[in-house]
Amino acid sequence: MDLRYSQEDIEFRQKVRAWFEENLPKKKIESFEERREWHRKLYDAGFIGMGWPKEYGGQEARPMEQAIVGEEMARVNAPAGVNGLGISIVGPTLIHHGTDAQKDEHLKKLLTGEEIWCQLYSEPNSGSDLASLQCRADIDGDNFIINGQKIWTSGAHNSEWGLMLARTDRRASKHNGISCIMVKMDDPGVEVRPLKQISGSSEFSEVFFSDVAVPADNLIGELNTGWRIAQTTLSYERGGNTLSRVSRLQTTLDRLLEVAGELRVDGTRAIDDPRIRQKIGQIYSEVEVLRYASLRLLSKLEKGERPGPEASVSKLHYSELDKRAQEIIQEILGPYGQQISGAGEYAFDESDVPYGEADTWAYQFVWSRAGTIYAGSSQIQKNIIGERVLGLPKEIRADRIELEERRKEEAAADD
Amino acid sequence: MDFDFTEDQNMLRDLAREFLTEQVSVAHIREMMEDETGYDKDLYRRFLGLGLIPFPEEYGGAGFGMVESCIIMEEMGRIPYPGPFFGTVILAGQAIIQSGDENAMSRYLPDMANGDLVVSLAFLEDSASWTPATITATATKDGNGYKLNGTKRFVPWGAQADVLLVAARTGEASGPDGISLFAVQANSDGVEATPETMLDLNSRTATVKFSDASAELIGEEGNAWAGLDRAIQRAAVAASAEMLGAARRAHEMSVDYAKVRRQFGQVIGQFQAIKHKLAEMLEQVENAHSAAYYAAWALDADAPDATLAASVAKSTANEASRHVCGEAIQVHGGIGFTWEYDLHFYWKRAKHQEVFYGDSDYHRERVLQEVLAGNVAR
Repeated sequence: MDLRYSQEDIEFRQKVRAWFEENLPKKKIESFEERREWHRKLYDAGFIGMGWPKEYGGQEARPMEQAIVGEEMARVNAPAGVNGLGISIVGPTLIHHGTDAQKDEHLKKLLTGEEIWCQLYSEPNSGSDLASLQCRADIDGDNFIINGQKIWTSGAHNSEWGLMLARTDRRASKHNGISCIMVKMDDPGVEVRPLKQISGSSEFSEVFFSDVAVPADNLIGELNTGWRIAQTTLSYERGGNTLSRVSRLQTTLDRLLEVAGELRVDGTRAIDDPRIRQKIGQIYSEVEVLRYASLRLLSKLEKGERPGPEASVSKLHYSELDKRAQEIIQEILGPYGQQISGAGEYAFDESDVPYGEADTWAYQFVWSRAGTIYAGSSQIQKNIIGERVLGLPKEIRADRIELEERRKEEAAADD
Repeated sequence: MDFDFTEDQNMLRDLAREFLTEQVSVAHIREMMEDETGYDKDLYRRFLGLGLIPFPEEYGGAGFGMVESCIIMEEMGRIPYPGPFFGTVILAGQAIIQSGDENAMSRYLPDMANGDLVVSLAFLEDSASWTPATITATATKDGNGYKLNGTKRFVPWGAQADVLLVAARTGEASGPDGISLFAVQANSDGVEATPETMLDLNSRTATVKFSDASAELIGEEGNAWAGLDRAIQRAAVAASAEMLGAARRAHEMSVDYAKVRRQFGQVIGQFQAIKHKLAEMLEQVENAHSAAYYAAWALDADAPDATLAASVAKSTANEASRHVCGEAIQVHGGIGFTWEYDLHFYWKRAKHQEVFYGDSDYHRERVLQEVLAGNVAR
């Protein structure tokens, strides 16, 4: 055990920190185009797609270097770049399963933010049970004809492309009839309708497809192997960069301590109230534990070990912790925690967040409810941990019973 | 950055596990619950004979640090071992080492390492709190030595110890100043130890009353607090590892049980109600692991956040082991509530260590103090 950063890592961190001190935008990013420019700057500095192979425009950076950049960005509250899902999900999917032509066409543009991608996976009736999706892609000559609806599509309104999971074989069992297809978002028959979330803003959309013709060349991998392809890249979404989450939470707690030093409760400073001290001590401890756990995961990644289903423990941990932390912060701040505007001296910060909203206590509180739903809800993570880490038997589910019965009937018919 | 154990550390764990699982049977643990002394002296000596002693090498130890101490304590928590290893080697050992008194080290540590001496730290008093204000026992100069007066509570293996290390006041102040550390021979006049029975029958404690007992100073007069604080911090981290071991074992037993216990025509681990509980328990066990070993490393490396990490570790392990060992009983249902089933050993050991060396409230307060003082890793 040696939890010191290596000299190389320390020097790398100094370089990264210096870069952000010099290049951090002086004024708030307002438009998507401004954010794209900032993204390009991050890319030129080597901070985008860091883990990607060099031949596709990446840096082949070590996990530790990626973590350091994530941490340093969070530390100075740097605006995020664009194309988060494109880089974390679509890129790796293409790298692992795409043809040379697909890679040449998209990977570089995806990294530089020239091509913005969204992920067309979830459907109104297929959330946690993603494999039950119904949006269909029927083969018609050299095209797929797509019909159906997707939902919870982050950034759909800014995207040029979408990575879609669609049903291409309706007779196969649900996992075996899905294909992974690239769809152009401005094709005729694609309609994007923004959804308003409980935060009041609209990062997500519903996307409707009516007889959208997509070239068959846009298929990724083999026909009907989309589920397996999605599985390999969904795990990229889980458990990856928790150190930057730690940094963000630490920034939040630093500000909480400042506010608690000013806010007066019953004539004394909040920070001198033993009940409040207990609460802050509690969250601070939990965030520290998340940091230790992140270092533990990072040390495995550095050795080339893939976290696999253990990443679910990490996802469960940070998303549930964020919810607990935000609840406690709200308890401490009372009505000040709920101010969306006019918060004045007790405000969190008016700085940037990924989608350009004001970063308030209230905003953080609202968003903490999303983390335990997206990228596999906490309940799904617990199933994964129970079944794939602890080796407990899979539950008896209605869809599995149906499948069994159908197979029996088919076998009987064959006889 | 490497969070994994070294090859030597893994060997140490294997050695401890092999000895403890082979030599400390369930029958032995149960026998010791009824035993007057509460531990098998021969077995204790044989364990020490393996040489897994976190003392400096010149005093009969293996030169181990806190990471190694935690590995040993985690393995003891998995049993859980009945005997004075923690009280003597970790708690009293650290009290002597952290005092910086080399005479005391050479006088006591080698005999503690080979099992000739059982030593304990008599710290708590009526308030059962770990802050300096708790200390009201007094020591006054008497010729070359001191006379000690006061009553100490919950002294680990206090009725079995040969030597008691006692924190007492030699000055008027009520804070950290004026606290001194003394060694008192347990069989000397004016020392009266009354054993008490605790929830964990394998963790023995005693109330020890000192009435003009002859005491020998360790370290400098009036300056013992800093060393005691360091020793208690280390005991807290080692106790965290012991609780981690208990929680991990209780969790393993629960997973195994959920794979075989059938109700409603299926094993109970197939129900989400149980599966999800077991997943949550695993998260807590892993968090306790991360916290205990990070703290152990931070203490060994003298990291700026070592005190913070020690408090994070103890409050995390307290909550995790209480929850995991308790939920383990729930997963087992009625059988988990029986005396014959071994699960209650772990729940009780965890509960025992939870309240000593700082409970969660104490450590959360300490976390905040360290953060406000800027003693953080960043």
